[in-house]
Amino acid sequence: MREKTPPGIVQEAASVPVKAPARLPASPGGRLARWLVSGPPLLYLAVFFAIPTLIMVLASFRFPGDFGGLAPIFYEDETGRHLDLTLENYSRFFSDFLYTELFIKSFAYAALTTLVCLLIAYPLAMLIARSPKKQRDLLVLLVILPFWSNFLIRVYAWMIILGPNSVFLGAFNRVLGVFGLEPVTLLYTPFAVVVGLVYVHLPFMVLPLYANLEKHDPALLDAAQDLGANAWNRFWRVTWPLSLPGVFAGAALVFIPAFGIFAIPDILGGTSGIMIGNVIKQQFLDTRDWPFGSVLSIVLTVTAVALAGLAAAFARRSRL
Amino acid sequence: MKRLLLVAAMLALPAVVRAQDNVLHIYNWNDYIAPETVARFEKQCNCKVKQSYYSDNEELLAKLAAGAKGYDILVPTSNYVLGMAKAGWLQPLDKSRLPNLGNILPAYMNTPFDPGNKYSVPYAYTITMLGYNERKIKELGLTIDSWSAIFEPRILEKLKGRITVLDSQSELMAAALKYLGYSVNDRDPKHWEQAKQVILEAKPYWAAFKASGYIEQLAAGNIWLVHGYSSDIYLADQGAQEAKQPFRIRHALPREGAVLALDAMVIHKSAPRPDLAHQFINFMLDGKNSVDLTNMIGSGNPNGAALAHIKPEIKAMSAIFPDAETAKKLEMLKDMTSRERRTMNRIWTEIKAR
Repeated sequence: MREKTPPGIVQEAASVPVKAPARLPASPGGRLARWLVSGPPLLYLAVFFAIPTLIMVLASFRFPGDFGGLAPIFYEDETGRHLDLTLENYSRFFSDFLYTELFIKSFAYAALTTLVCLLIAYPLAMLIARSPKKQRDLLVLLVILPFWSNFLIRVYAWMIILGPNSVFLGAFNRVLGVFGLEPVTLLYTPFAVVVGLVYVHLPFMVLPLYANLEKHDPALLDAAQDLGANAWNRFWRVTWPLSLPGVFAGAALVFIPAFGIFAIPDILGGTSGIMIGNVIKQQFLDTRDWPFGSVLSIVLTVTAVALAGLAAAFARRSRL
Repeated sequence: MKRLLLVAAMLALPAVVRAQDNVLHIYNWNDYIAPETVARFEKQCNCKVKQSYYSDNEELLAKLAAGAKGYDILVPTSNYVLGMAKAGWLQPLDKSRLPNLGNILPAYMNTPFDPGNKYSVPYAYTITMLGYNERKIKELGLTIDSWSAIFEPRILEKLKGRITVLDSQSELMAAALKYLGYSVNDRDPKHWEQAKQVILEAKPYWAAFKASGYIEQLAAGNIWLVHGYSSDIYLADQGAQEAKQPFRIRHALPREGAVLALDAMVIHKSAPRPDLAHQFINFMLDGKNSVDLTNMIGSGNPNGAALAHIKPEIKAMSAIFPDAETAKKLEMLKDMTSRERRTMNRIWTEIKAR
């Protein structure tokens, strides 16, 4: 269940410095133009976000069908036709801490992924932004290059890299052996899950950061230096605050999909590796419990939207 | 010239349409039919076979529940046939078009899942059992002949991190229930609780839950013991031999008994070509065609006419073709009610989250 981030966040947060939003004249022609421009994205959101979400909300109040799907919305007995709706799916979620626990665990995984992505992506984005114009395009291309091959194939490749017979791990364990340490296992551990999550989501952090950092005016840094700021102060008091919108945009783009992912814990995770996305998938497949799967999806969507809203709010505040 | 083209187009058009219509759509498990069998059928029926694949009965069910259409033949496991028939997704078979039906051994006919074989015809079976790296297990001085190999901490200590179990709530619970001496279809919540405890105690020793990825890991020597399907274990052994590994992968049918999954061919209610579908089922009932799959993946074969053609080394595997006494301990999984499935999934989520 990977939710789309509202498309506004990226552009909004990445544009620095602030400009007054462009306005089309309020004439009838202007209104038409406005609809023409905003129509397709609105239609996209309605068809691929609003309608599926509504279906999900309806499904969450219904009973599961015996062979998958949903039980009929009306049932009939001696007393007539009844609307067959229930709150049971919700009470099941709230009365059993197990599912909340899994949400917290997924949250922790996603937060750690976001942090690691930020730590790796920031220097990289800065390097790209400060490279000569010609190399910049090539470097950005290299960042998105992995998207040219299938996501699952790239994750499977990590199975080989982290596996017990890999050259990489063999060499690492030999080094550990020199220091008298026990060899480590990497595949099927939480570590492998985080590696996979970071690997897959890194470009989503690099790109908004780069888009932001690239627009910084180098004259600001010169001015700070003239006023006696050392390298650390120039970064911490000039570059970092200016880059916050990019940081929040990147964080939202990494955190939200990482929160609901199920493929990576499935492939790289061990016996305790599951996240909430796996449980949702189970409800739709193994358990044929679409209503409960819908409840879990709704909680996930609400959390994700709230977090995206929070990030957007922070981004707006940090620009003032 | 223009007129010539038009005539050519008019002549070509019906041919294109006919070629497109003359297609049998099979929705099947991955790697569950030999390519040469398909080629032979295409030649015989003068049609094309188009296959799509699923990796799990529940995936098939979810797709049909969502209204998927256009398939002729489906190959679900027998215990799903009852539900699919009740849901109205299947059409009754016309037995007059299946003269080869008599080839199926009586033991696999007329199961409680489809009395009188109204909708389904047995295709192949797998047994859920244990597979192991013969060399490693010998080195460790272990004998693998019971479910205790994956549940008993005393044995597991030697194998820590080298075991995978099936990522399937019904299969793993069934194995734990068998280990405890219950039926795989036991519905007693107390017994389920016991099975959960057995699994939770053994879990720290397992590397992962795997639905199919264990084949490569077993063949590569990364994993030494798996809870898996007989045909996958056979494929792992093939893989190990192809890679010239210094070890073989062996089957072990636990003495407590195990789950037998009999897959069956059925025809979808809205099959575009029921005529081709019947022709295909009858073709697959011919022992010479049915045997291809067994020889390719080491699947069990319910077809009496196929037995004579099975490669001797596969036929000799007592884990896949057990004697009558052992066969009595094999059980087929029964479908659960939605309430039972909920309880089972609550247990499963706890097992996987802990």
